Amino acid sequence: MIRIACPFCGLRDETEFAYRGDATVSRPPADAPIEDFHDYVYRRANPRGWHVEWWHHAGGCRQFLKVVRHTMTHAVHSVGLASSTQVVPPE
Amino acid sequence: MSVVDPVSPLGNTLVPGRHGAAGDGAVRIAERRCDLVQVFARKGRAGDVAAAMLARFGSDLPGPGHTFDAPAFSALWVQPDGWLLVAPRSPEGALAKSIKAACGDTASVVEQTHGRSVIALSGGRAAWVLGKLSSLDLHGREFGPGRAAVSPVAGLSCVVHHRDAAPSYDLIVFATFARWFVTSLTHAAEETGYIVE
Repeated sequence: MIRIACPFCGLRDETEFAYRGDATVSRPPADAPIEDFHDYVYRRANPRGWHVEWWHHAGGCRQFLKVVRHTMTHAVHSVGLASSTQVVPPE
Repeated sequence: MSVVDPVSPLGNTLVPGRHGAAGDGAVRIAERRCDLVQVFARKGRAGDVAAAMLARFGSDLPGPGHTFDAPAFSALWVQPDGWLLVAPRSPEGALAKSIKAACGDTASVVEQTHGRSVIALSGGRAAWVLGKLSSLDLHGREFGPGRAAVSPVAGLSCVVHHRDAAPSYDLIVFATFARWFVTSLTHAAEETGYIVE
């Protein structure tokens, strides 16, 4: 069980959240080539280590959060608002 | 339109009397018929909403996890810049109209009286019963009177309002799930016994 410290609600169980994927990708500009959109939609780095992810607190305050999670250990390093910039620690 | 709706969403799910295990640890379960109004500040207008609510109703709008008891209603924080107001039943829609009149275009005001049900759980072992259905930390150092949390209870989206030190909890769920929810709650309370008045 992962426990995520929601900035609004406090420490809550993983079951309250919905995983919403990689928070490091950003939508290309509208006039970008089709290959960029392909990469934006499909290509993911799948790292072993720290990863910045979207988690939606669907069972609580309904906010989208940025969570830095370790993909091997499930340790949670930091949690912030969607608008925040999360610093990824060294491995 | 001053009459409360005659049919509870619970139907006959709660049967008056004493149920479950014998002993002196029985909890009390009841439906509280309340007016419910949802107030969500529009983007960047939370300060205006707070000023309007303070001027018109003498109500602070509480921060995350907290509640405020104003003369006319209790305000429960449910999400950033969003609150649920709980009040005794009044003429149909009157509370929502007065809130909307006070807030104008600074907030979206939605009548929830018939959309949600308020289930009251109280008694010395109420936290123990609630703990079977929820992963919230109900210990006094984390939660207590004047606090509220939005968290699944019995797998169902629920606003948990810790009303007083009895302890008494208001459990606010969507009305269409209320029967299922109360059935889960009464099952959880079989071990302590429960009283429906």
